[in-house]
Amino acid sequence: MNTQLLPSPGTGTPMRPTHGSAPVREAGRFAGQHRRRLLRADALTVTAWSSMAASVALWLADGGLTAVSSPAGMVTALGIVAGLAGMDLVLLMLLLAARIPFIDGAVGHDRALEFHRKLGKPSLYLLLAHGLLIAVGYGMAEGLDPVSEAVALWVLVPDMCLAFISLALFIAVVVTSLVAVRRRFPYEFWYAVHLLTYAAVLTSLPHQFSVGGLFAVGTWQRWYWLAICIATGAALLYYRIIQPVRATFRHQLTVERVTSVAPGVVNIEMSGLQLGSLAGNGGRFFIWRFLAPGLWWHPHPFSLSAEPVRTGPDGHGRLRITVRDLGRGSAQLLTLRRGTKVAVEGPYGLFSSAARSKDHVVMIGAGIGITPLRALLETTPFAPGQATVLLRGHSNQELYLGEEILELCRQRGATLFHLTGGRDPGSPDSWLPASEHRAGYALADYVPEIALADVYICGPSRWAGNVLNAARAAGVHEDQLHHERFDW
Amino acid sequence: MRIRAAVSAALASAGILLVGWQSGVHVSDTRSAVAAAATGNQASGTGITDSSGAASSESAASSGTTGNSGTTGSSGAAGASGTSGAPGAAAKAGGTYDGDVVQTRFGTVQVQITVKAGQITDVTALKLTDAEGRSVQISNYAAPVLRDEVLQAQSADVQTVGGATVTSDAYLTSLQAALDAANL
Repeated sequence: MNTQLLPSPGTGTPMRPTHGSAPVREAGRFAGQHRRRLLRADALTVTAWSSMAASVALWLADGGLTAVSSPAGMVTALGIVAGLAGMDLVLLMLLLAARIPFIDGAVGHDRALEFHRKLGKPSLYLLLAHGLLIAVGYGMAEGLDPVSEAVALWVLVPDMCLAFISLALFIAVVVTSLVAVRRRFPYEFWYAVHLLTYAAVLTSLPHQFSVGGLFAVGTWQRWYWLAICIATGAALLYYRIIQPVRATFRHQLTVERVTSVAPGVVNIEMSGLQLGSLAGNGGRFFIWRFLAPGLWWHPHPFSLSAEPVRTGPDGHGRLRITVRDLGRGSAQLLTLRRGTKVAVEGPYGLFSSAARSKDHVVMIGAGIGITPLRALLETTPFAPGQATVLLRGHSNQELYLGEEILELCRQRGATLFHLTGGRDPGSPDSWLPASEHRAGYALADYVPEIALADVYICGPSRWAGNVLNAARAAGVHEDQLHHERFDW
Repeated sequence: MRIRAAVSAALASAGILLVGWQSGVHVSDTRSAVAAAATGNQASGTGITDSSGAASSESAASSGTTGNSGTTGSSGAAGASGTSGAPGAAAKAGGTYDGDVVQTRFGTVQVQITVKAGQITDVTALKLTDAEGRSVQISNYAAPVLRDEVLQAQSADVQTVGGATVTSDAYLTSLQAALDAANL
């Protein structure tokens, strides 16, 4: 079934995003924003590579290269360089996972975590190489086999036993993080093991400063290394602990009402203070913790499904998220009690107007992925006729918040398509319902100007992948595609 | 845009490595000069009886170029040169005592103490870790610090120097042997 709502310019007043300035009515109003964002992303790339180069340069500047005079010295030198580069990668990984707004705003939360994941194995290999090469190199210098050398290091040199523990912890963390293992264990176990990373990094620090001659007291290398370690620790502490705690106390969120939208899907309304600062985030997500027995330790990433509504002075107001029973954790949310306190972190991600690069915008959502589009549709700037919304579900009942979206489209002058029905089992690459797929429809048939538009996609990952491919085939540039994974 | 990032990252990294390498060449030049001086010192110092051993070793230590200083030899004061086998009671009077030679992965370490009236009046490093340029630098840094600490504590029970753990441990082990020899 196709429902098309034609653009109706002038029938309603577009809502203004609460944070933005008055929209500029000229072509390419997002061009500058887009250019700046790409510049930030490139600057981050350069910084990351430079830090790697700097960690090796520390050793070079100490005369490392010219001091290599024997095979043993060569092996030891390689071990030292591997250790330096490995530690630098670990610090980069921690920074990528620290949810720093600058990184989040440049590449998005999910891509930052993707890079984080990609660095996992290289950093482990470097650290393993560090341990092995040092044991071999020292052993060669002393005429010992690597195992006896490792034992001697463990027993005789202070802080080295901690370093061995650290290496074991790093191995445990990376192995448990590998996807295959992650699927076999419950998420909570994987998460707890991941917390061991902090223990691994902390236990590795003493030997770097006491045994590592490069960082001996009085060298400038020691100060540089201390500075980057402390800066990384401070960023983690601030953005992952202090900031969320402050946001939780500032907003004082309390569950107000839990209403059913469809079977297994509920709206959770919360009231709180100073909600103005949470407004205008479109489809960016927050991490919610409902402070009830058995629930408080489980973080839930959801975006707002409606902009905060002001109900009183001092930013007192209500906001809403829409939740579907996806896992054990979200099932419990359906039975939340009124008055439950809520801790909040965020907003995170780039699924918002901040990612816009074009005047036209297309939003494609399926299932519960429709709800972030609802918030984006409410705030993202566009002129009547410049926006298209495509909603996909098995039935009309699955087009969650469909009526609210219809109303918003009417008010703002956006084109809306409902695409309902089962998949075509014969073509797993299709994102369309079977009937439309057989009729030969493609993305460009719904949105002729799609190549000139920003495309926001939210839904199950298989389906979203199909939409991404369809959009690429329709000539949409990679920079215009906005898709965030929520299933991390 | 990706190309811009890749090119800038490559240029920045190359620049940083180049700067590091250049300053490294500079460091190793001065260091090999120091090492050469220390070696020369050792060569000329060997076998020469130094009548003012304590004084000259002190200046060598504090100037930071100890290395393998050649201030061996027995000092004029005692004449019980390096007699670790000497009976304890007599030793109390004074003299110089050599500690054990301790092997480490960075080279050998041996210290000598000068004792007067039951007090450690000086500690001289006969051999210090010198495996590579880096070790020489660490030794030069750590030895004066350890010497001061030992003279203050009058024992081998002092803290190791950060960044020079191996050297410190060997230094203090050798020192303990010298103290045992001196019956202190």
